[in-house]
Amino acid sequence: MSVDDKKGLSKETIDREIEAAVSSETAGLDPGQADEIREKIRRRVRAEMDREIRIRTATKRREEERKVREERRREKHHEEGEMFQRFNRNFRFQHMVMFSSVIILIITGMPIKFPNFILSRVFMNLWGGINNSTIVHRIGAGMLIYFMVHHLLYTILSRDGRRDFMLLIPMPKDIRDAVQNIRYFLGKTGERPKFGRFSYIEKFDYWAVYWGCVIMIGSGAFLWGESIALKYFPKFVLDIAHEAHSDEALLATLAIVIWHFYNVHFNPDRFPGTLMWWHGEISEHEIKEMHPLEYEEIMARRAKQAEAGGTDR
Amino acid sequence: MKRKILLAVIVSILGAGAPWLLPRAEARVSLEKCTLCHSKSEFRKILVDGKIRELFVTADSLKGSVHEKKNCVDCHFDISEIPHRERPRRVNCTHCHYKGNAEGAPQSDAYLAYFDSVHGKAIARGNVKAPLCQDCHGSHAILKAKNEESAVSQKKVAETCGHCHIEIYAQYKTSIHGVAVAKGIREAPSCTGCHGEHKIYGHLDPKSTVYATHVAEQCSTCHASVSIMGKFGIETEQVATYKNSFHGVASQFGSRTVANCASCHGTHDIRPAEDPLSSVNPKNVPKTCGKCHPGANPNFAVGKMHIDAKKKEAGVVYYVASFFKYLTIGTMLALIAHILLDMYGRSKRLRGEK
Repeated sequence: MSVDDKKGLSKETIDREIEAAVSSETAGLDPGQADEIREKIRRRVRAEMDREIRIRTATKRREEERKVREERRREKHHEEGEMFQRFNRNFRFQHMVMFSSVIILIITGMPIKFPNFILSRVFMNLWGGINNSTIVHRIGAGMLIYFMVHHLLYTILSRDGRRDFMLLIPMPKDIRDAVQNIRYFLGKTGERPKFGRFSYIEKFDYWAVYWGCVIMIGSGAFLWGESIALKYFPKFVLDIAHEAHSDEALLATLAIVIWHFYNVHFNPDRFPGTLMWWHGEISEHEIKEMHPLEYEEIMARRAKQAEAGGTDR
Repeated sequence: MKRKILLAVIVSILGAGAPWLLPRAEARVSLEKCTLCHSKSEFRKILVDGKIRELFVTADSLKGSVHEKKNCVDCHFDISEIPHRERPRRVNCTHCHYKGNAEGAPQSDAYLAYFDSVHGKAIARGNVKAPLCQDCHGSHAILKAKNEESAVSQKKVAETCGHCHIEIYAQYKTSIHGVAVAKGIREAPSCTGCHGEHKIYGHLDPKSTVYATHVAEQCSTCHASVSIMGKFGIETEQVATYKNSFHGVASQFGSRTVANCASCHGTHDIRPAEDPLSSVNPKNVPKTCGKCHPGANPNFAVGKMHIDAKKKEAGVVYYVASFFKYLTIGTMLALIAHILLDMYGRSKRLRGEK
């Protein structure tokens, strides 16, 4: 009997059923022992049922809250339409870990690259000097490494992760999209390129982070374990690690501050930024605008499901 | 009112004239009287601990010194009778040496730094072994520091300091700086070149010129100067490359544990890298680095230590740096161009142009 079938039955029927099952199992035992076992099983079953009811009510409550929010939003911005989930909770968590670690790494690392810059001293003193700042930098590094491992496992183990990874692989279409987008900027064509789930801009962001993480974590490992590194390598290896770490840091910072911030914050469509990183939802209006192919796909899938008689949304 | 002013004038005139009106220090003893005893060559005192204190002074003792025209009691002014019964106190130089003195001593208060220095503080704490002025500058034969024969001349000051700091003197004498000074190279530093003259502090005192975070600055006063280093064919880029390295940056931010010049090159025993005794000789580099990074391997010394990634001599590091330079420039140009085009397109559409 599956859980869903049980849903309709009343508590009493379930109780009776369990009672019957237990009696048949304990039939062979002597009465005293059987009673004891029966009592034990009853207690456990009751606890389990209580737990399930609690979980169910919590899920229901969350669902209801979501619906209320949705309605309120619809009243306010009715033009945006339905909300679609774009990033799941796991993915949002990864993004939060990453951006907090990157912020920590930038404000503790950049002062070392530019010691004479006026704010460098401020950020150094924020932690109480370089000895503490280097510790904070390592905490940030630990978070970034955790993010990298988490993301790799997510890519391999999670269905959404595998799907997104496949969609993030650069395709010839991305080059065509880029060319068309630039033509669109210049007014040569009135039509924006139709993006799928990830536009070439987002794909660039993703692979830039990949490249950055590999270089930064790889070279950073040499610098973190410098005492171990110089047991096995000549000095120029550490010099290369230092140079790469410092240069890639600048490139990554510039890419984030200029490119990513423009695309998600300063871009007039988004200014001063959306909360998508927090709730992970995208409005119908926006998905049609930014990811029309994905929207079409979702709609097609729904139509198919409706045809197959599925009750799921 | 007028009477008060008059009174004030009279009092001040009297006050100013008083020293001349009164008889001067009763027993102003003359030089001849002192040398009566002190010019005997066997005039000495055997101290309780068996040491001998020479008390031999002649009329010529001050000859040639900066105090040539002075008299014994000008400095030993606590002697008022002859023969004096008690041992005269140590001479107090600040009796005359202060800014605004009327004795003809140099108008300088550079010596004031002494009282705050490690030596001055040791004296103040009652350490009888700590040096007073005369311990470095000499007692009777005081010469100007510019004079090569002076105890505090560039050439001789190391020996003077070595009276007490004997081990350090031994190290210094064979170091590159000690050898250079002995050769008569004026630019080479003796003790005072790095530690300062009167304002000498312990190396753990943040005021010290050789405090961990000040060492690089102190060395760079000469080693960053092309005009000085050029004479001896020494490169000056070490200073800049150190400052750009993590060690240098951390030091600038106040880290005391990070390596400064002296951590690797030594302090008093600095020797050229070719010298097998040098701490930066390739053979000794693993050991030197191993002070902080235990287990540095012999390979570690291969290649240049002070590298500038912007120069081709840095080898592979230069190519890594160039790769990232062009990667950064190229990427940023492309991204910024994309952003500007986007903005251009938006503004155009906003204006309703197609």
